[in-house]
Amino acid sequence: MRLEIRDITKTFGEKQVLKGISMCAESGAALGILGRNGAGKTTTLRILMDVFPADSGEVLLEGGKIDYSQVRIGYLPEERGLYPKKTVIEQLVYFARLKGMTRQKAVQEADRWLDRLDMGAYRGKRLDTLSKGNQQKIQLITAVIHDPQIIMLDEPFSGLDPVNAALLKDVVKEEVERGKIVLFSSHQMGYIEEFCDQIAVLNGGEIVLQGRLEAIKKAYPRDRLLIRSSEESDIAAAFPSACEQAERGLLFHLPVPSCKQEVMERLTGRFDIDEIRVLEPSLNDIFVEYTKERI
Amino acid sequence: MKQFITILGFELKSYFKNKIFIGVTILLVIVSAGVMFFPALSEMLGGGTEENAAEAPVMLVGAPAVSGIDQEMLGQYFSAAFSGYQVRVTDEPAEAVRDQVTSGGAECAFILNSPTDYTYYVNNLSMYDTNTATADELLKQLYLTGALMENGMDQNAAGALLSVPVTHQVTALGTDQNNTFFYTYIMTIALYMVILFYGQMVATSVATEKGSRAMELLITSAKPASMMFGKVIAACLAGLFQMTAVFGSAILFYFVNGEYWKDNAMVASIFDMPVDLLIYMLVFFVLGFLIYAFLYGAIGSTASKVEDINTSTMPLTLLSLLAFMVAVFCVSGGTTDSLLLRVCSYIPFTSPMAMFTRIAMSSVPVYEIVISIAILVCSVFGIGLLSAKIYRVGVLLYGTPPKPGAVFRAVKNA
Repeated sequence: MRLEIRDITKTFGEKQVLKGISMCAESGAALGILGRNGAGKTTTLRILMDVFPADSGEVLLEGGKIDYSQVRIGYLPEERGLYPKKTVIEQLVYFARLKGMTRQKAVQEADRWLDRLDMGAYRGKRLDTLSKGNQQKIQLITAVIHDPQIIMLDEPFSGLDPVNAALLKDVVKEEVERGKIVLFSSHQMGYIEEFCDQIAVLNGGEIVLQGRLEAIKKAYPRDRLLIRSSEESDIAAAFPSACEQAERGLLFHLPVPSCKQEVMERLTGRFDIDEIRVLEPSLNDIFVEYTKERI
Repeated sequence: MKQFITILGFELKSYFKNKIFIGVTILLVIVSAGVMFFPALSEMLGGGTEENAAEAPVMLVGAPAVSGIDQEMLGQYFSAAFSGYQVRVTDEPAEAVRDQVTSGGAECAFILNSPTDYTYYVNNLSMYDTNTATADELLKQLYLTGALMENGMDQNAAGALLSVPVTHQVTALGTDQNNTFFYTYIMTIALYMVILFYGQMVATSVATEKGSRAMELLITSAKPASMMFGKVIAACLAGLFQMTAVFGSAILFYFVNGEYWKDNAMVASIFDMPVDLLIYMLVFFVLGFLIYAFLYGAIGSTASKVEDINTSTMPLTLLSLLAFMVAVFCVSGGTTDSLLLRVCSYIPFTSPMAMFTRIAMSSVPVYEIVISIAILVCSVFGIGLLSAKIYRVGVLLYGTPPKPGAVFRAVKNA
């Protein structure tokens, strides 16, 4: 399946929040939507979910106009929240039924997911008696209980401890492998790098960078080497104009990218080197570069 | 439709699990039981009238300064007219009588200055004290009897002549306001209370969902119209259930205690409401409730915190108060055919109370009722859909509650 948005614009009052954005997500691959606060990520997701219409542009599924009555969408909002005074099972069944499931099927699926996330013991408990991490798990179940074809996760990892984060990662990976379209919005670049093959960077209501993450990284000039060595200070002393001490190790600036092989060989021959590789920009570097000014 | 039913069921279940709802319903049933069982209980607790006779307050009657007054006849007449008092005839001077009233030896006293002039002594004059009116009538009769007796008529013949009974029959061709007065009051008060109570509940429910951010998920899971209609109709059903429970138990208790209430015309008239009036009451009650509840829901959606609700809903609360006041003033002033009430009976926000008042208290042509109901039904749907639109925009607005103008602009643009 292929979900595409074309040339979407949206204005709230005087402010144009989206200025003609287009992007595309496909089954079996997660699309990471990145952007600073107020860049238009949530507005994009809400238009995709038909919470409100775009001023212009269109949302297409498999090339045709999307029919919301035929497609199941799961959503994990950034602002988490369910009914604090209701029991876990009560609200899971309610949300599943709102998505069109029968009561029997909803109860069955809710129980399956509760067991899957080690939450079976909390079935009849009120939500406000659960820890924050466990409430997050319940919120995640509401996003996937109805077996949606499209899953939108807005900051899914915020507030999760490492064990729960690992559990969530498994769930997301599993859903991606099952051929779901997964849209992923986060500020935690590590998770985006881990999950998303494709990224779209939003800034000031426009898409400023889009494509396969690997290709984006490869497109950067490969003119720096990262060196980890017990003799970093000696290397820096030998090549004072080329070296720069960074947090991750010693950075070696190459005069031209094509000489990397030769420089690597010379360095490994002369010094005791633990690790030497071409430094690719991290997603964080790319994100900062594309979003720091234009908002 | 499926979503609407799911939401309706969920909301109704919430009402029936809500401790305040259950508490208020039980309290109202207990109060209605208390009222209906009151005569039976007071009799059971030994409040017999005979025992009270000895403790009846003392009334002194005297004419120390007037000659030629038949003291015995004066005592008889006063005893007969003031059956709730122990009437004692006295020939003590006015000052002594006055002291007795002041000291509490007697509750009140009539001291005649002449056969047709007296001074009434009482410690605290109650607003409802009608003793002087009774005494005026009594002394007039006494004076006339005396005059007739002086002209040769005996006392019995004079008494019979002066108290000749006059009988009359009343046939109300339109509405007998004596009976419908109470229904109108009950309906307007009940509708007003229900609008306030459930309106606030709808607004609070929406604002709570928004405050807890459950709305973020709800708005992507269900259509705003389903949400709004589901919530409001659930509140309406819960309100009707509560009213049925309270009035139903009151009717039940009334029949259980039928023999104690059969002589009370007011209570009997309430429980003897004509079916057509009951149906009108139900129709206007439901429509009146819905139109306000939709707006309460819409306003609830624009509030970011539950605490903002009271301020935000103030205009609506004042509007329902206005509708209530117009109906009540017209009923108490007997001006149920006034232009004000006629106009109000077509305006959707005031028509439920105003039109019901007119139907109950005067004669309204059927076509006027039909027009009023038609306007109301259309308005309920119109306002329901408008509220759903406001809701869709409102629930996504956080921060300070927006001004109405901003909300309407947003609705127009959405």
